[in-house]
Amino acid sequence: MHTCCGSYSRLLLRTIYAQALVLAIFSFSFAADFNVTSETLFRSFERDTKSGSDELVLPGYEYLKLDVDRITNQSLSFHAYGWVRHDFSDSSYYPEESDGELIYAYLEYAGPKHNQSLRLGRQHVFSGVANDALDGLSFTSDLGDLFSVSAYGGLPVGLADTAGQSGDVLWGGRLAHHYRSFYNIGLSYQKVDNDDSAVTSKVGIDSAFLLPMNVGLYGNSVRNMETEGWAEHVYWLHLLVGNFSIRPYYEMFEYDDYFDAGALSGGPFASLAHSGETLDSLGLDLSWQQSPDWTFGAKAKSYSYEVNETSNFLSLSATWSGDYLTRVGGELGKMKGDAADNDYLLVRLFFYLDHLADKLWVDFVSGDGLYTGYDQEIYGQDYAYFASLGAGKTFIDDALQIKLSADYSKDPYFDNDLRSMLTVTCRFGAGQ
Amino acid sequence: MIINTQSLVLLLLCLTGLVVACSSPQPNTQLQDKHPSQGDLGVKPLMCSDCHDAQDQAFSWEQFNHTAFFPTQHRLQANQHQQLCSMCHQRNFCSDCHATRVELKPSLKNQSETFRQMPHRGDYLSRHRIDARIDPTSCFRCHGNPQTAKNCVKCHG
Repeated sequence: MHTCCGSYSRLLLRTIYAQALVLAIFSFSFAADFNVTSETLFRSFERDTKSGSDELVLPGYEYLKLDVDRITNQSLSFHAYGWVRHDFSDSSYYPEESDGELIYAYLEYAGPKHNQSLRLGRQHVFSGVANDALDGLSFTSDLGDLFSVSAYGGLPVGLADTAGQSGDVLWGGRLAHHYRSFYNIGLSYQKVDNDDSAVTSKVGIDSAFLLPMNVGLYGNSVRNMETEGWAEHVYWLHLLVGNFSIRPYYEMFEYDDYFDAGALSGGPFASLAHSGETLDSLGLDLSWQQSPDWTFGAKAKSYSYEVNETSNFLSLSATWSGDYLTRVGGELGKMKGDAADNDYLLVRLFFYLDHLADKLWVDFVSGDGLYTGYDQEIYGQDYAYFASLGAGKTFIDDALQIKLSADYSKDPYFDNDLRSMLTVTCRFGAGQ
Repeated sequence: MIINTQSLVLLLLCLTGLVVACSSPQPNTQLQDKHPSQGDLGVKPLMCSDCHDAQDQAFSWEQFNHTAFFPTQHRLQANQHQQLCSMCHQRNFCSDCHATRVELKPSLKNQSETFRQMPHRGDYLSRHRIDARIDPTSCFRCHGNPQTAKNCVKCHG
């Protein structure tokens, strides 16, 4: 565990600033494009803590993003992104007064042909069965016109807290075969070791087929090689019929194979790995673009189990789209099944009015309202309200943006919870 | 090993298909670095298939249409065509949700962007106990390793 998150955050900040300094020198030396985005958030809310009730909590967050493109030539670039948080109040709400995380920081070489990319450093890998952060190396490339390959290896960031990173290894890859837009089939493998013992190894197949009549068949299957069972099958069709987008789908999850992560199965998921449960879902997503302004949606999904009782979800939505990002819409959803404690009604209304500078001092105003009604009480309450309002304005050719939002909720966990947030975003550099 | 006639025919068909595919001229799938921004394209929001053919030689563009359901269904598209995503989305766009540690949930960090369909909006703390009973696989996808499960462990141990 990180026993001293304050020191960790300071180290993280120093690392980012040191990288910024080095890369600034690089960018001036080699005429690279140097872009920095700083997003600073100040929040305020009240919480009951160990030191008292309704204690004021004032966390400040700094999200810093660095992009240095064209280092020495067109192909080399560096990218980093991370956040730190400090509580400016005297509350003991957070376990540590300061905390932070380096989300990614990698050097990338992008080849001029074959969609080649080589990344070195902390990065998030999405490749077949992989959806993981690692400190290491990854490579992707086309192999001619019909095949592509990706491979990666390094220290898994997600396991850093269990006895450190020593002995932890994550590696894998994906080989894909594709022919124009007609099909794309990928075979992927991933193995994770924690402290020199295997945690997971899995293989996956992901596929996309274009069938006649503009019908697409998509899906993926994952097999857990440790339990030797299929963890999931997810397959769907996608049809475009006029202005209707229709997506019927089927999903199957075997809990014993899906949740089994060896020695790392923990928290709320540990018991599920030995539950013998199977979840089968059938669903249909329907989207109808009635006009350039109006879009309607419907979603239906049924959940059936080997052990648990069934549930069904149905929702309807409507959205009006104005110019730019202007949207006004709503959604009505209902979860209903054999177990009453799983049933709820969901109502959401929202708006976002964009490009208001001609009419108001601000550029946009936004709002969100959510009501949830529970069929069975949760902590003595069978409903929840949530409402938020926001506004924002940009300055200096969009290089500076200030947003202010406030939200209120009354729900089974919080009575009359009022929170506010100020966001200041600054963009510097050649690409802004 | 016994190979029946049907298997042999199927095998020959697959091999023929592969030979035809390998010998056919391929469209250029090397993507541009940047897609024109929405401001360059006009004031109205567009779907990919409004400009591109739903299916052309290089891509099945309709599968990238950002319908209201796209935020919860983009896994395969992002997996198979990451470079297409990066033509519009900056690198940190994915990290608001897909990161090892996300202390501020995306709908809170970007609270005023109500036009985006983001998970865990509003009173999700109450509702998550129900959704997690109904489909815990959707939780595990993002909260399944020791670092990302820290938010769960505070209450669930």
